[in-house]
Amino acid sequence: MIGWLDAPRSWLDSFGEIARFGSQVAGQVYSGRVLRFFGEGIRQAGILILGSALIIWVVIFILGLQCGLQGAYFFRAQGAPAYAGLFSAFCDLREALPYAFGYILSAKVGTGIVAEIGAMRISDEIDALEVMGVPPITFLCATRLLASWIALPFIYLVGIGIMYFASYLAVVNQVGDVSSGGYQLIFWMFQSPTDLVFSMIKGMAMATVIVLVGCYYGYTASGGPVGVGTATAKSMVFNIVAVHILGMLGTVVFWGANPRLPIGG
Amino acid sequence: MFVETGNMVILTTRTLVSAVRPPYPYGGELVEQFYFALKLCWFPLLISTFALNLGAPGLQAAGPLQVFGALDRLGGFFVLTAIRWIGPVVTAVVVSGVAGTAITADLGARKIREELDALQVLGVDPIKNLVVPRFLALMVVTALLDIFAIVFGLGAGIAAELLYHQSLGGFFATLFSNASVTDLWGSILMCTIFGAIIAVVCSYKGMTASGGAAGVGRAVNQAVVISLVGVFAFSYVFTAVLLATNPELQTIR
Repeated sequence: MIGWLDAPRSWLDSFGEIARFGSQVAGQVYSGRVLRFFGEGIRQAGILILGSALIIWVVIFILGLQCGLQGAYFFRAQGAPAYAGLFSAFCDLREALPYAFGYILSAKVGTGIVAEIGAMRISDEIDALEVMGVPPITFLCATRLLASWIALPFIYLVGIGIMYFASYLAVVNQVGDVSSGGYQLIFWMFQSPTDLVFSMIKGMAMATVIVLVGCYYGYTASGGPVGVGTATAKSMVFNIVAVHILGMLGTVVFWGANPRLPIGG
Repeated sequence: MFVETGNMVILTTRTLVSAVRPPYPYGGELVEQFYFALKLCWFPLLISTFALNLGAPGLQAAGPLQVFGALDRLGGFFVLTAIRWIGPVVTAVVVSGVAGTAITADLGARKIREELDALQVLGVDPIKNLVVPRFLALMVVTALLDIFAIVFGLGAGIAAELLYHQSLGGFFATLFSNASVTDLWGSILMCTIFGAIIAVVCSYKGMTASGGAAGVGRAVNQAVVISLVGVFAFSYVFTAVLLATNPELQTIR
């Protein structure tokens, strides 16, 4: 029986260590000590935009198509195809977008950070940094967190636009039960700028956790080239669980008590 | 990119051919991989599927339904979400993130240590002995975990109903009247193919890892990105075909 409980136990174990490491990194950013390496932070932001933005948008586009498709068929079944916008407004902005963002960010950025920092750890570059008097946590981890806070909100905002476009394509052009105007009337009615802010908080919370988890597993990698691969795999497991839990908590906190609907009084 | 896609298709064909061609030396490895994937995946899948189904379809759909006074309709809605869409997709995300990354890290480590070349020199076919058992095991595991995901997704639906102080009779009534066998088989078939995609991509990336310490990590990174994109793209095509060719799924009961 013990083998089956290994996963939850080791998961709880590493949760505490990641929380400690993460608060240390976040402290470096909040206290402004990271500004010593502001140039490195900007370079990391550039890497993030050039390397990951496109793949994030592609996945968001595909999930936007899915949202539109499911919503269109669901409301066709209900006999109210004009209300497909209700489903896609909720699905796009509130749920699928943060999840898609979290999935692909943990796959592309999170594991990328582990592979990069882990390789540095294995080849003793981090020790070399320390010897040279450069604080490695600030230089490697805090700059990446800063970079993600600089670049990702804009990637997220563009992603919202791409997802709306994809849902529009699926509902109006692919299934075609509702006219363009009819779809957009309902679609824009069921969302507000506050929802956008809430959705963005959700997405950014996921991004922060993913970057911190990536930094932790990379920074503590050990055991040669094999160790880097194992650490990368482990970070992905942790990230997937964290993304889902954050998504649920965000929904419960932001829309659990008040669904924020323009219906009734 | 196109060369890689082609190579993956070649690997898929060779895997399929060597899976059915007579000597079957992969039985023990198959059982081991099956057990390994199941042991790694069950806990993340349990948490993920419950959290996602409680948040996204549970609470977000219960809001409007409560305003309309039709909270019992949540059961019918969960056929769409838990069975048709979220169950398979969450299973695929968890399997690719947990078992897929483990496969790539494992095979990549063997490639870096030149164990795969040694196997080939010894006359052992790495595709038959390493890729085929992973391919078959992941297909079966993903399909079985899909049932698990559906059960826990419906559990999350029940939790959402209870959060809104609703009796469960209406939930089960609309759930069972709207659920159809086509939906369930579609979900399981989709998951089986997800498992095949994940296994091929992750094995390919692991077997072609190169470049020392950074190489294995990079291979895992690329493997999980490619398998996620592949899974999402395939799920869109599959859902569109399933819904368009089965009009009986579009009637509300």
